[in-house]
Amino acid sequence: MSELTAGPGAGAPSAEYSASSIKVLEGLEAVRKRPGMYIGDTATRGLHHLVWEVVDNAIDEALAGHCDIVKVAMRVDGSITVEDNGRGIPTDMHPTEHKPAAEVVMTILHAGGKFDNDAYKVSGGLHGVGVSVVNALSERLHLEIFRDGKVYTQDYARGEPQTPLEVVGETSRRGTRITFRPDPEVFETTQFSFDTLSQRLRELAFLNRGILIVIEDEESGKKHEFQYQGGIVSFVEHLCKGKGPLHPDPIFLAGEKEGIQVEMAMQWNTGYQETVFSFANNINTHEGGTHLSGLKAALTRTVNAYAQKENLLAKLKEVPAGDDIREGLTAVISVKLPQPQFEGQTKTKLGNSAVKGLVEAIVNEHLSVYFEENPRVAKEIVNKAVDAARARAAARKARDLARRKGALDSGDLPGKLADCQERDPRKCELFLVEGESAGGSAKAGRDRTYQAILPLRGKILNVEKSRFDKMLSSQEIRILISALGTGIGTEDFDVEKLRYHRIIIMTDADVDGSHIRTLLLTFFFRQMPELVARGHLFIAQPPLFKAKKGRQVTYLKDERALNAHLLRSGASDLVVWGQDQQEGLTGDDFLHFLEKVDRYLSTLDKLGRRIEPRVLDSFLEEFDGGLERLKDRDEVDRILAAMGARMARLWPSMRVISAAARLDDEFQTFDLVLRTEDNGHERRSTIGRELLSEISELRTLKQQIRDRVAAPCRLAEKGASPDEGVAFEDLRSLFEHVRQKSQKGFDIQRYKGLGEMNPDQLWETTLDAGARTLLQVRVEDGVEADEIFTILMGDQVDPRREFIQENALNVRNLDV
Amino acid sequence: MTPRCPICKAPLAPRAENRAWPFCSARCRMVDLGRWLGEDYRFAGPVEPEAAHDTARGWAPQRVEPPDDEA
Repeated sequence: MSELTAGPGAGAPSAEYSASSIKVLEGLEAVRKRPGMYIGDTATRGLHHLVWEVVDNAIDEALAGHCDIVKVAMRVDGSITVEDNGRGIPTDMHPTEHKPAAEVVMTILHAGGKFDNDAYKVSGGLHGVGVSVVNALSERLHLEIFRDGKVYTQDYARGEPQTPLEVVGETSRRGTRITFRPDPEVFETTQFSFDTLSQRLRELAFLNRGILIVIEDEESGKKHEFQYQGGIVSFVEHLCKGKGPLHPDPIFLAGEKEGIQVEMAMQWNTGYQETVFSFANNINTHEGGTHLSGLKAALTRTVNAYAQKENLLAKLKEVPAGDDIREGLTAVISVKLPQPQFEGQTKTKLGNSAVKGLVEAIVNEHLSVYFEENPRVAKEIVNKAVDAARARAAARKARDLARRKGALDSGDLPGKLADCQERDPRKCELFLVEGESAGGSAKAGRDRTYQAILPLRGKILNVEKSRFDKMLSSQEIRILISALGTGIGTEDFDVEKLRYHRIIIMTDADVDGSHIRTLLLTFFFRQMPELVARGHLFIAQPPLFKAKKGRQVTYLKDERALNAHLLRSGASDLVVWGQDQQEGLTGDDFLHFLEKVDRYLSTLDKLGRRIEPRVLDSFLEEFDGGLERLKDRDEVDRILAAMGARMARLWPSMRVISAAARLDDEFQTFDLVLRTEDNGHERRSTIGRELLSEISELRTLKQQIRDRVAAPCRLAEKGASPDEGVAFEDLRSLFEHVRQKSQKGFDIQRYKGLGEMNPDQLWETTLDAGARTLLQVRVEDGVEADEIFTILMGDQVDPRREFIQENALNVRNLDV
Repeated sequence: MTPRCPICKAPLAPRAENRAWPFCSARCRMVDLGRWLGEDYRFAGPVEPEAAHDTARGWAPQRVEPPDDEA
């Protein structure tokens, strides 16, 4: 505020000027008569406006480079003190007013350096009314100026000087300090809000990088210090805090032309809110204006141009709109310019048309460079916009689908759907069948009174040379939603409108089938969780095998079931005798015996990685008792010898290279270490203390088997005598022999897919409610739900290509 | 484990008080639906296209083995 001039139009001839200044003096009376015209209102907002007027003067001084600290104090008596370390308001005599310049500033409307373009290139000042308005509306105002080594003070009451400006002492500091108490005759309230003051002062600290702004409430002792070296970048970081930013650092763009300075900082987060603040000369331009519209237009253009260039919009029917691009955007644009034009209802809309082009030019140029240099950030931003555009389209489609379901009732169902006759949803079933041909069989084989069929075949896309992606086509998704009748979306989905109370997923028992099933389950789980919660979702269990013996046909859902079936059939024709047993084992008893043998052998095989199964089997044969036995060297040697003899007898192809007892010092027990060789394949097996606890179940099984049928045993067809039987000492050869025998006479067919079954077979095995088995898909609360959740919702590696892992879903998890 | 929104990864409010479950918001549900309709959810697999297209394709295990040229 060095080059103070008075009155509007600094260059006006001084003769005319003195006359007009009298009018201005009357103006201060006008301020008290109609304060609303100058500060908006006389309520809270107008009251705080007083503080901003004074603070703005200090900020102007800072912008001009003469001040870096501004302090605001809320005094105990309800007054406010604003202090800066600027140059201090000039105190010399004003050439035309014949009083000190400081007094002119305090008493004349529109007086002050900011009204002269040359004194301050850029100036804030809310509505540019000046500190004289504050003076006029204050019950009292105390001015202190620290300048040229002297301290000047002056007191005012309701705008009228009470004392002349006088020197009261000496000082080494400089600056201006104004304390004022708002006039209770003017204001409805004179209570300042610490939070309101803090918020705006913080904003000013952001907008004016480096400047220290202190706010203190002397009554409560609350105090904030705002200082941001990052300027509006810090502002954006502050606004983004805790919102999950899409990229680590805000993007900063700046430029200057013809005295107009532009600064922008922006950062996208994962949310959907658009938070954009625009400022012109530190004034929050709530209504936007040329700077904001320039930013928006250029942002849309630059992001879309980059996306086109990088071919990131291939799958979109329409390019993302500005709203899509600004979704989750937090941005601050701040322009500083001489002679800002404010328009609009509240005079918070920037009107200077030159600003728009400048902002656009800066964004176009710098943001595209930034995108080129930071392709990962750029892709994240584009992807987010694409998601937004898609979500907008999806919401539109969801509404369409919801609206169209009225038409569905009148029979206008999707063409692929073969609907049922029944209209009561509680009785209706919808089969989602993989493949057109299986769909055809299902349509022919179903009970059309209550069973509807919707064939789905998924879609295959050749993405790269040797990679094929499988997905549900968007058309299939739409048809599915239409067929169900529920509509879709958080607001539009209505489970009460579900047209089928049983939705049955029917896919092949192969990799493709499990993929389609997983996709469908994921879709239902995400988009229609109500269906799952209410138990409407099922998985059909089509058979994998057909076993035919004579005229008897049995369908079996998997290998396990097939083996059990064969064994059952085989056991019914055979009899087994144990050593010295006269009574043979037949029928169910034999079957139970075989099941135990099966379990015993498969457990041996599971341990087979560590221990040669035949070695372990022989150990179990020869060892009984507890850990004590392994402490006895003689006993261990005896076991080793017996094992060797047994193995040589039963499996001549296997050679024992060495068999030794090794002392475990720590526990004083012996480990049995055997090296064996069979067909050039050498193995080392160690049996000792540690293994003993692991194989307790195996030992029990072995004991149970021995109790039933002592080895060696004899096996024969039913009706034969023990002497006619074949002798077995080894359980595995016995089991294999039974298995081979039981397969005899069976014609076993493995279904390659549902399409291989004719309509009758499909009905018999999978559709007929009297014969089929269904798995109900359920997600209960609790741990298991969480597990399925993790599996189905597994973290995506690449958000644009979210692959659901193969084998992601184990149907058994969902079994009930 | 805290369930998270499959779209934005924000922690989920419990199902009882979250109409958008298993998403954090109706908005994320729409993003998800947009991805379904945009055919973004896929299984990537090096599969012979013939085999994949043919509904009556063979079950032969070699069909599901990745071809050698898959990186």
